[in-house]
Amino acid sequence: MADSTEEIHKAIKRIKLIGWVLAVFTVITVGLSYVELPTHTMNIVVGMIVAAFKAALVALIFMHLNHESPLIYKILAFTTAFALALFVLFVFSASDPLVFDSFYESNK
Amino acid sequence: MDIPYTVTARPDTGLYNAKVGIWLFLASEVMLFGGLFSSYIFLRVGADYHWPVHELDVRLGFVNTLVLIFSSVTVLLAWANLKLRNIGKFKLYMLLTVLCAMTFMVIKSFEYRAKFSHYAVKLTDGTFLTGHLPHGYEIKFGEATQLSFTVQSETAAIDADPDGYVLPFIQGDTPKFKTESGNEIILDKSTFKDLRSASLEAAKAAGKNSGSFKLVAASPLTFQAKPSQILGYTATTMTFRDGTVAQGKLLDDKMTLEVDGVDTRSVPDAEKSIAWGTQYLGDGWKKAFITNRDHAKKEFEEKYPTRDPQKSATHQKEAFYLKIKSSTPPSGEEHGDGHKAEAKAEGHGDDHSAHGHHPEVVLDKKDIAFYSNYTPKLNTYYAIYFTLTGLHGLHVVAGALVLTYFLLFDGKMLRNDPERLANRVEVGGLFWHFVDLVWIFLFPLLYLL
Repeated sequence: MADSTEEIHKAIKRIKLIGWVLAVFTVITVGLSYVELPTHTMNIVVGMIVAAFKAALVALIFMHLNHESPLIYKILAFTTAFALALFVLFVFSASDPLVFDSFYESNK
Repeated sequence: MDIPYTVTARPDTGLYNAKVGIWLFLASEVMLFGGLFSSYIFLRVGADYHWPVHELDVRLGFVNTLVLIFSSVTVLLAWANLKLRNIGKFKLYMLLTVLCAMTFMVIKSFEYRAKFSHYAVKLTDGTFLTGHLPHGYEIKFGEATQLSFTVQSETAAIDADPDGYVLPFIQGDTPKFKTESGNEIILDKSTFKDLRSASLEAAKAAGKNSGSFKLVAASPLTFQAKPSQILGYTATTMTFRDGTVAQGKLLDDKMTLEVDGVDTRSVPDAEKSIAWGTQYLGDGWKKAFITNRDHAKKEFEEKYPTRDPQKSATHQKEAFYLKIKSSTPPSGEEHGDGHKAEAKAEGHGDDHSAHGHHPEVVLDKKDIAFYSNYTPKLNTYYAIYFTLTGLHGLHVVAGALVLTYFLLFDGKMLRNDPERLANRVEVGGLFWHFVDLVWIFLFPLLYLL
């Protein structure tokens, strides 16, 4: 990260600016959640996109991942891959591999 | 021994050691919270009830989000000022960060507290009545004259222990009992011990493992206990958690609820909900509900003529979840706007000042299918809410402790090796940003969407 006095002064300005941007996007997140989009799923998707943008700002600027050592990128690449795998696990709940497709329908 | 590479970078990694350490730790933290967010998705996809949207107090969540963002900025400013050797400013910003953490936790504790005292009662037809229990909820059992004890010679799950499970629920003065042999006693640990060994001896002589005996009360007893404190009851018996049975008469098992909301979203015909029965909320509130529902429907149709109102989570909530903010139903002249304002009121039940401004209904036990305060017992949403925010809260506390340590107890390092302290603060700051990052997702997922 920044080491010279000049760079640190620049960093301070950037930090304050990002702080304001995050606050503004928090207001936007709240506002958007009250907008009636065609489906609630779309509200969730839009909300998560805004949240992901805010999270990216925190990670890139506050946690200075925009210029970090390759070792840390390697660690995070693995982490991201495993975390994403966790988020799609719910797909397995959509079907039951132990019974044939029409099992439940035959009970109707 | 000195820890190597606390200030300068290690040649092979290009980083000081603590930085590699904190990133490995944060990677494990991502997996921890990732697993819980994954659970959230599972629970939400599989929920067989209307997932709460805007049910928590959005204002408090919003303020807490800003507090965390502000603290993320201040922790960075503390680090930057330490790098510039502005020690005064470093201390000021670090103090602000710790104060933000405390503010966050205080606000969170208010939110939790409101949830513990707020109840939802599911009626047998699927209607939910929400509100507060002004007198708690206790079973009253009176005219009890006889207690039957069962004691076991070997360790057993249920073994008579009146000192812990029966006596605390007796109302009034210390009662006197007559034993089967006619002696008058006061029931306490030592008298019970004697009765117990006598009973077990008799049982042993008869070749049994368990003995039983009865005590007759000198004057009729009254018991009062929460349903969770006893094993069960009928019209004539009350069974305590140690297996002791009292013979008497059930006096009162009705629940008094100050109703602040009626949720009919899971009822096939909302107009026929038990809640509108004459013994409960009655016709006045039913009319208020119908006016509110029709108004919401009309408004939705005008705004979104092509959309299916059944598929709109917010419309369903506005139309079928009536919020009650006064003790009597609105009069006929107030149709329209008055009801609309009521339906849109936020933060139902979290407002403690609202006590006494709600209708009180006395619920029959036969109509209650389930009841709980707003805790994990209520539904999977509150289970994951408390798990995620609880764990996040612990992280806030842990982060604040570390930052406080840098502020108060690292003076020697500040004087002798400020660059090393700056690296410590940077690492602590990275953890603090991670805490903020988690909240950035928690706030919309739990409060807004």
